[in-house]
Amino acid sequence: MVTDLIKQSVVLLGTALVLAAAANTVSPRGIPWQGQWDEGQGVVTADQAALAPTLDFEIPDAAAAHRLHVGGQVLFVDSRTTADYRAGHIPGALSLPLGEFDRRIDALRSQYAPDHPIVTYCSGRSCQDSHILAQRLFEAGYDNIAVFIDGYPGWTAEGYPIGTP
Amino acid sequence: MAPPEPLGRLAWIELLARWVVGLLFVLASLHKILQPAVFAQIVYSYQLFPDFSINLIAIFLPFVELVAGLALIFGIYPRAAAAIVNALLVAFMLIIAFNLMRGHEFDCGCFPTFVTRLFAESPISMLLRNVILLAFSLPLAFYRGRRRGVLFRTAAS
Repeated sequence: MVTDLIKQSVVLLGTALVLAAAANTVSPRGIPWQGQWDEGQGVVTADQAALAPTLDFEIPDAAAAHRLHVGGQVLFVDSRTTADYRAGHIPGALSLPLGEFDRRIDALRSQYAPDHPIVTYCSGRSCQDSHILAQRLFEAGYDNIAVFIDGYPGWTAEGYPIGTP
Repeated sequence: MAPPEPLGRLAWIELLARWVVGLLFVLASLHKILQPAVFAQIVYSYQLFPDFSINLIAIFLPFVELVAGLALIFGIYPRAAAAIVNALLVAFMLIIAFNLMRGHEFDCGCFPTFVTRLFAESPISMLLRNVILLAFSLPLAFYRGRRRGVLFRTAAS
């Protein structure tokens, strides 16, 4: 009876295993068997290949982002939620949560030319929103984009000034 | 050969419990299966699993939930399915409790957002939800009577 139970459990689990492996292989949304989950290596992601187009445009550290900020030419765009933005953001940054992109992109376009330098950021290396936002901005015509991968936590950790609305 | 044991009123309750737990597990699996990359990010946010295992958990766990849920609904090896569901629920509770104790905030990711939006998602409510589910699923593994709505019957079912 107990061995039957174990056998049947193995059958069910084995079925799940086979289905999962097949679905993940066939599905266009499937992910690699291994992701990049080491924040020391950069942004964490289940599928590094999906982020590849933007990985070349990463700003390595907060000091480099700060230099760009001080230069004053660059528009910082905050891809976090409105609530996070209100609680504090990089001074002068524009709030553009991913979910709001379609609604707000036209307003952004009317204000900033396609060659305007843009830096996107989110909540550091555990989020990919800044990469996805960079990709979407690129698709919308902007071609001078960088991603500040240490994001808002990296900024505040260096003690740089913050903005609140 | 002895005639089969009659189906008692308890068999209706057993069937109902299996459907409730089974449907919830199927419901919990679908959004994870549709967006494995998003679920992997949630698994990562638990800050508990080694890096190499995160994608594997995100790929396989939802299908274990789906298969166990369907097996409960259709009565395919119901006792084994209930045992798997119980093991999962206990594991989920240990994980939630551990993160609660060390004060680590995390996104449960258990159910699709249209469900979780209905009630406040705190670790306590997650634990409570698991306790309620266990109350349904634990007896399913130990049920002694003949089961209703079983696709094919084995000695262990």
